[in-house]
Amino acid sequence: MGIRLFRQPELEKPELICGWPGIGNIGLIAVDTLKGILGAEEFGEIEPWDFSYPKKVLIKDGLLEELRFPSNKFYYKRLERRDLIFFIGEEQPTEGEKMYAAGEKAYQMSNLVLDVAEKFGCQRVYTSGACVSPIHHTVKPRVVSVVSSEKLAEEVIRYQNTILISEMGGREGEGVITGLNGLLLAVAKRRGLESICLMGEIPDWLSGSPFPYPKASKSVLEVFADILGIRIDFTVLDKMVAQIEEIVERLYEGFPSEIKERYDERKVAAQAKPGGITEEDARWIKEHIDELFKKGGEQGGEKSI
Amino acid sequence: MSFLRKVVSKVERNLFEVYQAPHLRNPSLIVGWQTQDVGKLGSKTIQFLNEKLAGQKIAEIKPSGFFPLGGAAFKDNLIQVSESKFWACEKSNLLLFKSEESEYEWHKFLNAILDFAQHYCQVKELYTVSGILCLSAHTTPRRILAVYNQPEFQEMLRDYGLEDMTWEGPPAISSYLLWVAEKRSVPGVSLWPEIPFYLAAVEDPTAIKLTLSFLDRRFSLGLDLAEFDLEIRNQNEKIAQLREENAEINEYINRLESGLSLNEEEQVRLAREVYEILEK
Repeated sequence: MGIRLFRQPELEKPELICGWPGIGNIGLIAVDTLKGILGAEEFGEIEPWDFSYPKKVLIKDGLLEELRFPSNKFYYKRLERRDLIFFIGEEQPTEGEKMYAAGEKAYQMSNLVLDVAEKFGCQRVYTSGACVSPIHHTVKPRVVSVVSSEKLAEEVIRYQNTILISEMGGREGEGVITGLNGLLLAVAKRRGLESICLMGEIPDWLSGSPFPYPKASKSVLEVFADILGIRIDFTVLDKMVAQIEEIVERLYEGFPSEIKERYDERKVAAQAKPGGITEEDARWIKEHIDELFKKGGEQGGEKSI
Repeated sequence: MSFLRKVVSKVERNLFEVYQAPHLRNPSLIVGWQTQDVGKLGSKTIQFLNEKLAGQKIAEIKPSGFFPLGGAAFKDNLIQVSESKFWACEKSNLLLFKSEESEYEWHKFLNAILDFAQHYCQVKELYTVSGILCLSAHTTPRRILAVYNQPEFQEMLRDYGLEDMTWEGPPAISSYLLWVAEKRSVPGVSLWPEIPFYLAAVEDPTAIKLTLSFLDRRFSLGLDLAEFDLEIRNQNEKIAQLREENAEINEYINRLESGLSLNEEEQVRLAREVYEILEK
């Protein structure tokens, strides 16, 4: 189980920004887009074989040419005001059939990521993910944050379109950020590092969908731009947002009119208040949306060699 | 056990239950998987070699850490146990391994296979056997497709009539093992005999015989494979009878024999009918 560093960049108290796949791939898209925009350079990786099953084999003329694993890579960027380390994992290490990382493997990976960050003097860690919310899909998703200290709570609410999770209501002040986007923060806090999770809102009925939700990634990215004091060109992300909006609109058009009416109340209701649809409506949407997604999924079966 | 002391220290001994010292000299390792065992090719090949070559159980990889231990699975009233066992066929100088695919820690599990094979037995070559589904009829001559991890080894086996495979996609555990072997400089080949899709859930004696014929030639084992001829004849007769009685099934197989394809629904119907008649 190892870390491989190809380069030893000179960095001054870099901040670590991590992204893994999750609901709507909100965090992963935000972090990966930021890394791309800034032109961060790869400098290392965590060897994947102890965490993941390979995803692809390439066989040509009888020779096994390559076995590809999901990557776990480190990148760095020196900005004018601060240095950054990015860590992007293509897959959360799972144990058994769990969807997101949990248990020993996740803990090991969290520690390996933080070992590298601390080696370069990192004192602050960001992760990003999804916050499942009773919002309308036409509403701009907010960025919901969970932080490791009161001081950071005061800091994050100064950023645009950002709220603390306590402002969401309906959770009695408690909850769990599942998977590595959550666990890493806990391990970081244990090590005495500042940690911040920025979660983009995704409408509850879309949280099980197989496609990404870049609209929320854009909200997260705007907050990162605010934090880092940089300007970001959203052209590429906006195209992706438009494509997904089209699919979501088509699904929404399939709602029975009475459910649509109640759901549309979310357009005008305060975002923090759950509601607009009944439990029965939610069940109908879930059942029918799942059915729709299943139809697409059944066509994608592949053999393995 | 004294021979254990000879083992190179980096091997994790506690992964293995060793029953007896292997008396093999740079053997070849043949691996068969019981999970998703298309045509029961992997398990039956290993079982046949074991019986005919007087294989002795010498060791197993302990399940802890690799398989779920939260209870006991059962099938048809019988408790199912995940076993990962090594047998030594001393006269033929072969090391056999049969197992379910591990559910966790694949990399560690595959390395454990090669740890045992290399450090306890000084294995020189790896062979994996798994069936691959094909859309041809059972009456069409079968091929063994092959994937090698070294070009030199590919060249060495050039005259055995294996067909080079070209493919991209999700890797099976045999490909993963082949890759791990390559990293350890162990030459290896994955043998993928073709199995008509409608024989996937039952034994396919034609593919098993074909695989054993290759191994027989490769290792000069002197195997008598006549018993498979009877099984093949029986199976062919049952399918022929089904074709006589069921015009639709006959048409499906005729189409496959002519190189035409079936849609998904037709494939399922053919597979179900053949399964029912062969498992009667």
